[in-house]
Amino acid sequence: MKEIIMLLVVILPVFSGILMPMLPFRTRRQMLFYLEAVVCINSVLVLMLLFGLPKGSLTLFRFTGNLSVTFRMDGLGALFAGMAAILWPLAMLYSFEYMKHEDNEGSFFLFYLITYGVTLGVALSENILTMYFFFEMLSLVTLPLVLHTRTREAVLAARTYLYYMLGGAAFAFIGMVFILVYGTTSSFVPGGVLDAAKIGEKSLMLLLIYVLCFCGFSVKTAMWPFSAWLPKAGVAPTPVTALLHAVAVVNTGAFAVMRVTYFSFGSGLLRGTWAQKLVMALVIFTIVYGCSRAVKETHLKRRLAWSTISNLSYMLFGVVLMTPLGLTGAMAHMLFHSFMKICSFFCVGAVICETDRHYVHEINGLGWKMPKVFGCFAISALALMGVPGLCGFVSKWNLAKAAVASEMPMAYAGVAALMISALLTAIYMMDIVIRAFSPGKVSHSEGERNVRDSNWKMLLPLGIFVVIMFYFGLCSGPIIKLLTSFSNGC
Amino acid sequence: MQVLMLGSIGLPVTSGVVLLAFSLSQRLKAAGRVERTEEEGKLQEGGAWLYAYVFIALICSVGFSMAAAWWGNGSVTVFQLLDTISIYFHVDETGRLFMTIISIIWPVVGIYSVPYMRREGGEKRYYAFFLLAYGMLTGFVYAGNLITMYLFYELITLVSMPLVLHNGTREAVRAGRKYLFYSLCGAYCGLFGIFFLYRYCGSMNFTPGGTLEYAMVSGHEDIVLLAVFVMLLGFGVKAGMLPLHAWLPTAHPVAPSPASAALSSVIVKAGVIAIIRVIFYVVGREFLQGTWVQYTWMTLALLTVFMGSMLAYREQGFKKRLAYSTVSQVSYILFGLSLMTSDALSGALLHVIAHGFIKCGLFLTAGVFLHYYGYGRVEQLRGIGKKMPLVLGCFTLFSLGLIGIPPTLGFLSKWYLAQGALQSQIPVFSWLGPMILLISAFLTAGYLLPVTINGFFPGEETSDLEHTGQKDKTDWGMGISLLLLAVFTLLPGIFPKPLLQFVSEAATIILK
Repeated sequence: MKEIIMLLVVILPVFSGILMPMLPFRTRRQMLFYLEAVVCINSVLVLMLLFGLPKGSLTLFRFTGNLSVTFRMDGLGALFAGMAAILWPLAMLYSFEYMKHEDNEGSFFLFYLITYGVTLGVALSENILTMYFFFEMLSLVTLPLVLHTRTREAVLAARTYLYYMLGGAAFAFIGMVFILVYGTTSSFVPGGVLDAAKIGEKSLMLLLIYVLCFCGFSVKTAMWPFSAWLPKAGVAPTPVTALLHAVAVVNTGAFAVMRVTYFSFGSGLLRGTWAQKLVMALVIFTIVYGCSRAVKETHLKRRLAWSTISNLSYMLFGVVLMTPLGLTGAMAHMLFHSFMKICSFFCVGAVICETDRHYVHEINGLGWKMPKVFGCFAISALALMGVPGLCGFVSKWNLAKAAVASEMPMAYAGVAALMISALLTAIYMMDIVIRAFSPGKVSHSEGERNVRDSNWKMLLPLGIFVVIMFYFGLCSGPIIKLLTSFSNGC
Repeated sequence: MQVLMLGSIGLPVTSGVVLLAFSLSQRLKAAGRVERTEEEGKLQEGGAWLYAYVFIALICSVGFSMAAAWWGNGSVTVFQLLDTISIYFHVDETGRLFMTIISIIWPVVGIYSVPYMRREGGEKRYYAFFLLAYGMLTGFVYAGNLITMYLFYELITLVSMPLVLHNGTREAVRAGRKYLFYSLCGAYCGLFGIFFLYRYCGSMNFTPGGTLEYAMVSGHEDIVLLAVFVMLLGFGVKAGMLPLHAWLPTAHPVAPSPASAALSSVIVKAGVIAIIRVIFYVVGREFLQGTWVQYTWMTLALLTVFMGSMLAYREQGFKKRLAYSTVSQVSYILFGLSLMTSDALSGALLHVIAHGFIKCGLFLTAGVFLHYYGYGRVEQLRGIGKKMPLVLGCFTLFSLGLIGIPPTLGFLSKWYLAQGALQSQIPVFSWLGPMILLISAFLTAGYLLPVTINGFFPGEETSDLEHTGQKDKTDWGMGISLLLLAVFTLLPGIFPKPLLQFVSEAATIILK
């Protein structure tokens, strides 16, 4: 029974999305009601799954041999699915308000809904083929969302987006084929599935393929040198940038890297090799690079996009430590970063929506006009900086703990990179906060008079995120224990 | 016992938050209206009830924290922050000493603020952060493990930044930013070290003598030393140690004078406390004695002592000169700590007390001149002694204390510092240290005494001061606070017995 639900949560959003153009909505209200209802029902189903993890798996269909589309829910998948289930209804609510200011709502909501199902598909996939399938699907269904505004800029961004995604998938495909050939099974098994006997002398090839595969999946996390697409994709409406390009899509990349590293290749085989050092170097560089670009960037959404790039590499850093502790840290950061970053993106979106200002220097003094929005932004900034008491500190602590415990000199450099990045984060986030609240006595222009805080549809998600950030920051014991149990045996 | 501890942190924080919320809500109401600037100024003004509220809150908090400090060794675990680490407070001799100084200085500055801030404006906001800062400092001083300390270290930065950018000018905002980013840089350097100490120390709780586990460290000495060094640099930021001292002369002078006094006399000491905790309570001095870390630290401290004095000597802005002087003087303390001997440590602790009172007094006198005449530069103060003999007299007393002339407290602390250095038997530094301290004392005389001399004896030049107002119109609030600080500078210097005994006992415990 529970296994069927797994299929249902993937299918339901996809079909209700496709059905949307055919349904005769008379008012906007009806359409919104339909959307929110579908998303909420789906989230409830996912949460039901979480509270009683189905033991078995569900094979949808089988191609040949061990090639099949199969769903199963393990700890890591449950984490990702749970995250999506919490965020989607809130993001949907937020976008109802936000999309008032944009055209073509219908097509936007259609793809927004479908993406939910596809993301859950990635989370619930039992083997690498299924994951690859949904991974590709995700690139395709999010493309129309990037293209949404139909401006020249959007078209260019969408093109870049597509090329990067397809290129990445191609590399990932190589890795998949390798695992299918040299592995004992295509399923995800903690500790890896590669058959040492089959590999024999070809360990050099194994490592090379791993690096290719890692890079392929990391295109979605926008690791350097594949990071250019993410800031460009900021032309999409803010709900897309916030939920997809700061959480769902990019986390899919991190999730896929976790899967192939710990569940397919196996961290034991990779630990201490040059491949580990190479990818770690890339990741550490990205951590600092992303932050530095964020400091330099003056466009609000692009600044946050660069920040996402850096933070996604925190997760990858945890992953490439190749220890269970590292995986715990990575999972923790995946979870916490989602809340922090979506909160800051939603705040910026609210500002854009209300004032149509897109650049950092334009927000001087706005904090007193929109105190609730900027208050939430300030809290998410503190969380991203890693102030104890908020969730960012907990994940940083676990990542650094894992890095120090690994006793690798390069991991020590990684800890230093985390700290440099924290400082740069403080600079690019607090810059906005200080400007908003303490502008240094500038005169106010006429257009600002009518600026008000956003309404409840935007503020409710923000409030919930703030509560979650404090909750995980102050009471991290249970969740970290849970994540540790997920990563044990990897 | 536990109630006292939590109350001493909770009370000022809550009352500060309440006041802040009140001030914000009023400001927001004003921001909503169309014509704002005039009204907003009025709304931020205080009144009798504001002063009553602030002082009742402050006095209760001081009462709580002093009771917690002197009634036995209390410790309290609040809750589990991370899997193995909890927010934990513990009172020990270091905490007792620092908390007492802070609890004397804070009310004094509070009294002074009343007349000063009435003109400056934004009183509610100011007092809110003033109370918050006291609460955070209490939490910081009583922190019982590294993580708790780190938490409050960051919070101190966050609540003291609004004091720096209080008057909202472009310059103040820039200084506030610089303060924030330098301090956070220091905090993250500290955190970097904490990650390593967490692995190599038996516990994060502060234990005299340290908790480093040598069995685990062996083979990783280099990285642990590096981590400790990075921590020193990081926490040294707050104490204004080279190479990251540049924020201090920018941030301290732009704050309103009572805030600069609090920042310069107390909040810089947060860096000192953090270093004492890390070196003597977590890592343990045996591990560091004779290593490159100790020598580099000493070199940096001595360089800062010298550089700070030189920069103060050629600086003409009065408050900025005092800020450079802070850079130099706090590194006296750091030098004393770096020697890791009993006498030097006593000297360092004494200098914490001496510098606290003296620098507070100096900034407050600078504030008086700024408040009544708007004079912020040294050359403008020519002849000021004729107008305000009492204030300049206090200033002279503080100056003598800072130079280290008996019978002030400054003499005692420097005496112990020099003695400790000479006894330490560390090559080169044992004689270089006292020499640099001496040179710096000359420079201190060089940058402080001319103010007194020119103030009382302006010479031939007629200054426009001649024509302004009546003689010494200092508000009683300002006068009282200056006199109190003068007493605190002088009295322990004349009757040093109990203080010396307490400090040397504390030093023995710390060095255990």
